[in-house]
Amino acid sequence: MLIENMAMAFSAIRANKMRSILTMLGIVIGIGSVISIVSIGDTMRRMFSDIYKDIGVTQAFCQVKSWMVDDWRQSDMFTLDEMEQVKEVFGDEIAYIDSNAGVSGEAVYGRNKVKFTLSGIDYNFREVQPVTMLYGRYLNEGDILDGRMNAVMEAESAERLFGTENAVGKTFRTTVYGNVEDFHVVGVYKKEVSPFQALMMGSGDDSGTALIPYTILTFPNDYFDSLHVYASEEVDLVEFYSRFTRYIAKKKGRSVDQIYTYTAAEEMGSIDQMMGGLSVAVGGIAAISLVVGGIGIMNIMLVSVTERTREIGIRKALGAKTRDVMIQFLTESATLSAMGGIIGILIGTGLVSLGGMALGVPVVVKPGVVILAVGFSAVVGIFFGLYPASKAAKADPIEALRYE
Amino acid sequence: MSIERNRNMKINWMQKLPFRKPGERGKLPAYMTENVTEDLIRLENLVKIYDTGAVKVLGLKKINLTIKKGEFVAIMGQSGSGKSTLMNILGCLDRPTMGHFYLDGIDTEKLTPNQLSEVRNRKIGFVFQSFNLIPRTSALKNVELPMTYAHLRSKKERRERALQLLERVGLGARYEHMPNEMSGGQRQRVAIARALANEPPLILADEPTGNLDTASSLEIMELFSKLHQEGATVVVVTHEEEIAAFTNRIIRFRDGQVISDEQTDRGREASFSRAEGKKEEKPDGKTDKKPDEEPNGGLQGKSKGGGKGC
Repeated sequence: MLIENMAMAFSAIRANKMRSILTMLGIVIGIGSVISIVSIGDTMRRMFSDIYKDIGVTQAFCQVKSWMVDDWRQSDMFTLDEMEQVKEVFGDEIAYIDSNAGVSGEAVYGRNKVKFTLSGIDYNFREVQPVTMLYGRYLNEGDILDGRMNAVMEAESAERLFGTENAVGKTFRTTVYGNVEDFHVVGVYKKEVSPFQALMMGSGDDSGTALIPYTILTFPNDYFDSLHVYASEEVDLVEFYSRFTRYIAKKKGRSVDQIYTYTAAEEMGSIDQMMGGLSVAVGGIAAISLVVGGIGIMNIMLVSVTERTREIGIRKALGAKTRDVMIQFLTESATLSAMGGIIGILIGTGLVSLGGMALGVPVVVKPGVVILAVGFSAVVGIFFGLYPASKAAKADPIEALRYE
Repeated sequence: MSIERNRNMKINWMQKLPFRKPGERGKLPAYMTENVTEDLIRLENLVKIYDTGAVKVLGLKKINLTIKKGEFVAIMGQSGSGKSTLMNILGCLDRPTMGHFYLDGIDTEKLTPNQLSEVRNRKIGFVFQSFNLIPRTSALKNVELPMTYAHLRSKKERRERALQLLERVGLGARYEHMPNEMSGGQRQRVAIARALANEPPLILADEPTGNLDTASSLEIMELFSKLHQEGATVVVVTHEEEIAAFTNRIIRFRDGQVISDEQTDRGREASFSRAEGKKEEKPDGKTDKKPDEEPNGGLQGKSKGGGKGC
């Protein structure tokens, strides 16, 4: 019976092609915009979470708010001893810690000069920021403890500076804190970059990146201004970092709100929140357009019921019950609306995919959203079809048969 | 009274539900089979008043009428004579204002609109002046429709029966045609096939030849004669004497009253003289009918209850 009703619905829709298409348009636009905007939102969310996964969601930077305190003093800075104490106090809760030190300058090799960023790291940085070694080795514990002038270089940077990726054994010269220093390349690594990250970071960057022992960058006075921490995966980030902040505040003799702890998780949360707000706004707009589309369907179904009064009369004379007529017209309006929904999905995903292709970003279209959209459009069809269908079902057979 | 009716309905429904085995799908509800009588139609003091607001028009004035099973009756009268009103009431499309109408023993006054639909579906086969086929729907689907509404038989069996019926009215090859692809006579034959779909005891034809040329009219009336000879009760409303001449009994109406009700054997004579050659086909008609009945009989037992789906 349902299949027969569907067949009847399709033949009725086919009989009035233009009208049906125009009626569907409201639903098409509504569902199409929902699908595309939800997909854009999901894609962006994926992008950000990928980026943060790359950078490390568990990480945070911590320092005294030097821009807020009037009485800034030397003890507001950190020393290597203090860092060791922090390691001892928090133990396994900290996966990695360094001095967040880095220098930017020009690296010189022969006649080649390339802008370079040298980041000071500990030997176990690789555990929180995995890389693939192409040549040579990573920095080891000895490099760090002895403060050896060794560097591990990113492959493309090596190519830029030395003209070859295999730069192991080569030496470049750069300025660190006013002193000209020679660095010995012990390894070259490759970092896998997600397409999202490439898009966000931009790939036209012509500067280089290298990692050097953080112990070098505590010169000239053994002080540094912030801590760079990766919490271990198991800890509750919010709880851990608030405890961490309290500990630093106590150690530095500052109040908690004079300590600045910037966590990646926090930032991600705020992006998520923004996306959530966007989704609600989009949902509202979509709801309005679906209601408008639904009213269009109701309108056309009323016309259809009037036009087919005689057919309704015939059906009733042949034994159709109220329910049979009702179901027939509900099926028709639901079919009309669901077809609009399906077309809307095709158009929505099509547009988003085209945009994604243009930007070189893989687009996220969740099947759940698609199913929900079709289901919702059918529900809209049924809801707005109720009144016309009940009007049809209540028709008096004699009146209906007499209708011309 | 209405509470009583509701309660009856509820009991009927509840009785039906648990006992509805797959094989019994489409079985007639109890109210249709309780008081089956020899009289197919019995009107008792039937009055119909049309209330058009300011004026009350008396459509039918105390009609008493009985039509037995197997009769071939013409109801005649000019427009405004009340014959259409009577037709609507006989067709369970309308209710009398006063009096009683018993159709195959069913007191139609007690029925709800949905039950009236059920009665129209199972007890009456309609043939209209303007054919009233469902547009954009093939002849086959049109014939299947009453069976679909009866939830009778599986989809395949409905199709088979519809094909047999179309064969029987001489349209076996045209089952896929749409109504607008057929002539008036063909359409009316589809309508007759459709009227026979649920094997109703009553065939009710409202000016069945009103939109047809003479040749088609004769064909249609011969078809009715054949159905009557095979045992169907046929009631034809008409204002044409030639059409009425095919029947065995003519009831004439004027101003909402029966003015004459006479048996006639002219119908049979006319049938003989107009279709001498076709008389021999009568046995064929009978053999046609046999295979129709057999699958139905066998069906009740073996039906596996497919094809309902809603």
